[in-house]
Amino acid sequence: MIEVQGLEKTYSTGSVTTPVLKDINFRINDGEYVAIMGTSGTGKSTLMNILGCLDKPTGGSYRLDDTDVGSLDDDTLSHLRNRKVGFVFQQFHLLERATATRNVMLPLIYVEDYPEDAKKMAEKSLSSVGLADRMEYKPNELSGGQQQRVAIARALITEPEIILADEPTGNLDHKSGLEVMAIFKRLHQKGRTIILVTHEQAVADHAQRIIVLKDGKIAEDRRVEKQRDPDVELSTLAGGEDEQ
Amino acid sequence: MRIQRIIGQGVQALNTNKVRTLFMMAGTIVGIAALTVIMAIGSGTEKKIMKRVEGFGPRALMLIAGGGKDLPPPDFNITTLRLDDADAVRNRVQGIEAISPVAFKSQMPIKVGGTQTQATVFAVDSDWHEAWDWYVTEGDPIAAEDVATLARVCVIGQTLSHDLFGNESPIGEYIHIQNVRFRVKGILKRRGTSPIGTDFDNRALIPLTTGMRRLFNQDHITYVRIKVRDLDQVESVKSQVRQLIHERHHITPPEEDDFRIVSAKGIGDLARGTSKTLSILLSALAGLSLIVGGVVLMNILLISVGERQKEIGLRRAVGATRKDILFQFLTESLAVTSIGMLVGSGLGAAITLILKQTTKVPVVLSWEPFALSLAFALLVGIFFGVQPARKAASLNPVETLR
Ligand SMILES: Nc1ncnc2c1ncn2[C@@H]1O[C@H](COP(=O)(O)OP(=O)(O)OP(=O)(O)O)[C@@H](O)[C@H]1O
Ligand SMILES: [Mg+2]
Repeated sequence: MIEVQGLEKTYSTGSVTTPVLKDINFRINDGEYVAIMGTSGTGKSTLMNILGCLDKPTGGSYRLDDTDVGSLDDDTLSHLRNRKVGFVFQQFHLLERATATRNVMLPLIYVEDYPEDAKKMAEKSLSSVGLADRMEYKPNELSGGQQQRVAIARALITEPEIILADEPTGNLDHKSGLEVMAIFKRLHQKGRTIILVTHEQAVADHAQRIIVLKDGKIAEDRRVEKQRDPDVELSTLAGGEDEQ
Repeated sequence: MRIQRIIGQGVQALNTNKVRTLFMMAGTIVGIAALTVIMAIGSGTEKKIMKRVEGFGPRALMLIAGGGKDLPPPDFNITTLRLDDADAVRNRVQGIEAISPVAFKSQMPIKVGGTQTQATVFAVDSDWHEAWDWYVTEGDPIAAEDVATLARVCVIGQTLSHDLFGNESPIGEYIHIQNVRFRVKGILKRRGTSPIGTDFDNRALIPLTTGMRRLFNQDHITYVRIKVRDLDQVESVKSQVRQLIHERHHITPPEEDDFRIVSAKGIGDLARGTSKTLSILLSALAGLSLIVGGVVLMNILLISVGERQKEIGLRRAVGATRKDILFQFLTESLAVTSIGMLVGSGLGAAITLILKQTTKVPVVLSWEPFALSLAFALLVGIFFGVQPARKAASLNPVETLR
């Protein structure tokens, strides 16, 4: 469970202070699928980094499963990221010289008890995102969509409760984007909490709930009336291709 | 273990970028190779010096006619040293086991029948054998009586014996030194050649009195060989002798001496002095390569940290602590210097062996340079690796991933 109260983030460089997040309040229950929306520069990524324990708020509180994240030291935050959070970035951030399997295994380097079957786990994780036949490929031998799926497999390997995705489809074509959304849908069905940052309404509509940021505050926090289903859209896409 | 996995990450990074790794390693390789060679030459030289000191006799002193700080070979034309001086040393200096005044001339013509050769002729007294620890293998040594009676007898070295008599025994035969006839009464043990190539065995010993009055016609001697009783008295005997000769020759210290006293230690120090220049030069090369190599290593690592910001941020995002990142980059630096050290040691050993095969430079290979190299490699690796590693660890993951 995620709970933020009066959350603030202000950047200060020298004498200039930039308040980015001001008085953010919300609660996300386990297993929720939430999209965070807003125009560019409203602090979506900033909020997501705080939720992912990669950054600290400058005010207010952030509770993650009853731990007050604001009071934790750097090492503890690292452990928390390793165990509880899986990041998916717009730019994939894969290690260029490593194979898909090696990339996926990366978070395991930093776990407390290294699993015997780390490689098997990575292969399983890759299979779950449909890359069973691309295990030994390097990023430059993969398409953008495939690279993003490797990144998702990497986020999944430690079986985190929360998946944080910052514009995961931002660099992908329509179909690859839908494939990624289909993976999120399945993860959500399996009970994971998914927080998706996007500025596109169409992407946000895959979630159950949308939080809209504006000028560092929550402008809107609503349920999605008609949740989009990526699987349906993918099948119509496939149908369309068949017709041509 | 976690640390092993982190080290593995560091090593993998080196493995994936081999050219970069080689550049980082070059300085360590050259530095350690130079270090290995210097130390091999150093211990080789020391061994040679010890051998020379051993040959001279660790308990020996030579009081030589003529001043100067260098070690020119004794000059038989200098007339300042007299037999009285040797007698005074014998009677008044404490701690002497044996003392033997010597007058000699090199390249004296020696002949037997039609066979003619040249050798160094030493006019010595009966204590010569003991003072030099150099005895006869056959026949009799120079005896006190020979000196007292101005006997025309000689003891010859093995080279001279061979040149004059081939494989025949020379004992009881007669030889002519210049125009004087001497009976051969003994043969000296073989001693070999000096470091500068003088044949010690091409010599003839004759009684001191016979030499000075009959052959050389002089009343000065060339040097006095002194054997001190105990090793720790060498310096004391040396200063007693110096003081005594100062007195006898009316020399007050700022004035230049007309004699010099050489000890085994003096010979060793002098030899070390000449080999020092080379070893300083090589040490400078080794030190410089290690430092320059370290700086290059540091800069490449710093650039690499800059280039790999995203990787570092990503690692932090998936759970790496600052320490994990620090260790990963320290591992890279340490692995570079350690592997560089192994290669450098191998290269140094190879150069040492080549020197041994193709030159006269004295070398000894041992484990000490290896241990020292390891210490240096780790030191350089940590010293120059710490800054890049710190920089990597201190990066803000949020900013690197933007
Ligand atoms: N280190 C910083 N110092 C000062 N200001 C910063 C810093 N980092 C971010 N900001 C500011 O914070 C604001 C929010 O940035 P953020 O990246 O969270 O926006 P965003 O909503 O993710 O935008 P986008 O949709 O373009 O990704 C921006 O105005 C940015 O200029
Ligand atoms: Mg953003």
